[in-house]
Amino acid sequence: MKPLLEVADLRISLPGPHGMVPIVDGVDFEVHGGQIFGLAGESGCGKTITALSLLGLLPAQARTSGRAEFGGRNLLTLKSAELRHVRGRQVAMVFQDPTSSLHPMLSIEHQLTEHPRVHLHMDQKQARRRALDLLEQVRIPDPETALHAYPHQFSGGMRQRIQIAMALACEPSLLIADEPTTALDVTVQAGILRLINGLRQTAGLAVILITHDLGVLSALADTVTVMYAGRVVEAGSTAHVLQRSRHPYTRGLLDSLPHPEKPDQPLVPIRGTPPSPAERPPGCVFHTRCMYAVENCRREVPPLIELSPGRVAACPVDPFATELVA
Amino acid sequence: MSILELRDVEVEYLRRDGAVLRAVAGASLRVEAGEIVGLVGETGCGKSSLARAMVGLVATSRGEVRFESQPVHPLGRRARPARETRLQMVFQNPYGSLNPRRRIGDQIADALVNSGDRSRSPRRQRVMELLFRVGLSPDTADRHPHQLSGGQRQRVAIARALAADPSVIVLDEPLSALDASVQAQVANLLVELARDLGMAMVLISHDLAIVRHVAHRTAVMYLGLIVETAPTDQLWEAPLHPYTRALIDAIPHPDGSGQLPEALAGEIPDPANPPPGCRFHPRCPLAFDRCRIEAPPLMEVANGRDVACWLHIPSTPSVPIGQTTPVESVA
Repeated sequence: MKPLLEVADLRISLPGPHGMVPIVDGVDFEVHGGQIFGLAGESGCGKTITALSLLGLLPAQARTSGRAEFGGRNLLTLKSAELRHVRGRQVAMVFQDPTSSLHPMLSIEHQLTEHPRVHLHMDQKQARRRALDLLEQVRIPDPETALHAYPHQFSGGMRQRIQIAMALACEPSLLIADEPTTALDVTVQAGILRLINGLRQTAGLAVILITHDLGVLSALADTVTVMYAGRVVEAGSTAHVLQRSRHPYTRGLLDSLPHPEKPDQPLVPIRGTPPSPAERPPGCVFHTRCMYAVENCRREVPPLIELSPGRVAACPVDPFATELVA
Repeated sequence: MSILELRDVEVEYLRRDGAVLRAVAGASLRVEAGEIVGLVGETGCGKSSLARAMVGLVATSRGEVRFESQPVHPLGRRARPARETRLQMVFQNPYGSLNPRRRIGDQIADALVNSGDRSRSPRRQRVMELLFRVGLSPDTADRHPHQLSGGQRQRVAIARALAADPSVIVLDEPLSALDASVQAQVANLLVELARDLGMAMVLISHDLAIVRHVAHRTAVMYLGLIVETAPTDQLWEAPLHPYTRALIDAIPHPDGSGQLPEALAGEIPDPANPPPGCRFHPRCPLAFDRCRIEAPPLMEVANGRDVACWLHIPSTPSVPIGQTTPVESVA
């Protein structure tokens, strides 16, 4: 089956004090209809920039190359008028902080009816009905009252639900959710995760879920791509990537997290800190922090090796090979 | 004798609309020397207010905070008593608490001066010792905060707290601004410091999973009250309060199982207008009539296990903690 979105060799650079700095350095992934695709990595790995590039939301000075094919078109080369049609209509985005993406001075009704009016050419009455449906869909209690309220009258979790409702207003086929639960409490987060999962099941929505939280990925994502310093280090089905990680970075991230079943196991952090985009090391970008690095890692950029269909890892050393056989 | 002791602490703020917001509504907690106590809870539960009350950054409207058996003075215009400098605090965002224009070494030296550096060794050498203690290289002393990573800045903030030779450090969300790989480094550092220096810590966090790895004992807060306190492993294995259970069940595990975490119904009520009876009852799946009318006191139900829940308090009227031991009384 043809993927809904196919990203190939995506490269993005942004201007720095000493010339262009590569932020994203050759990223490939596919998103299929009705699937949740997880994009994981720590701050600064390029995951948000990757998402923004798909919607043409990068700063004007950014330089982009590669392909992002969606519905037979390359999103990276669309003109702004065409992009406007894609945004909201076909691809929608939900951000981490709903406080800053909802307008504080406009009523929920105003904000929720705008998309259907502009994109679907509904009149106010139709758009209002649509807004009520949407609020019900994201389980806002008492939607009628909610329409007249303003963002500050809702809790963080409710605001995030409203933001999701806005994103769903024109029935997009792809939702990009950038750390949608990071600002929320854990009990509220669980509700949002269940909501996103429900939308995938009932509306057949495809989701790009961007998060640093491997627990969130594990709960929702079908497939995962792990990024480090602008490159893909590992990808595959969520179960494979989390249970049989092949890349030392993925393994290191998992070892640094508290393990639910092994509370007595000490946390094993990854030594050092992620390099800034302007100071990425030559060879494998992870070699400076990797316990398994060999001489070659310092010189050559490791290619993504296909282990099985859809399962790749960029580590020729493969330190966990014996463990996997056993 | 506990090194830090909170008895029935209340912290109130006056809201702009005139309503009194009781952020902390009678919390009691004891911290023993060398012990790491985790204080967990969600947004608005009052954990940060309680942390500030612990070190005297906000005044308590009722109750008492005692540090090394002496009452803690709320911060005022005058310098704090010298002995209270041994009670230190580390904040969530080290970028906000470090001076951007002074070198790291100078800022740590300031802390040494302010706490009346008692050691005889030259100050520069003490700074180097402190940097070493928190795992930073000596050349960090000549840098400015913006030249460091988030994890390094948090280490500097900890080094600066250590400069006062504290016996208790209260840390308000010290790990939550950090990436996972770096978070583990700082978490391990805290455990190491408590063990090597015999220092007590109160670790305030919304992240139960990390608290489980660090804290000896964990206290759970909900809407201004401590609802359960227990040795960390027991709290996890057999939580008594339904809220603790809900918190634990809501954590998604990175095990690749595809299992969705359990969501808790409802929302945290407005702290200025808390529900009657048990404050958790509108969201509690196990609530019964008594919960809606009468607030359960925090009572010791097993050795070292305190819980404020009618399900676990024997029906025969027994004596709340405050009346059996004069050290800890309960609202």
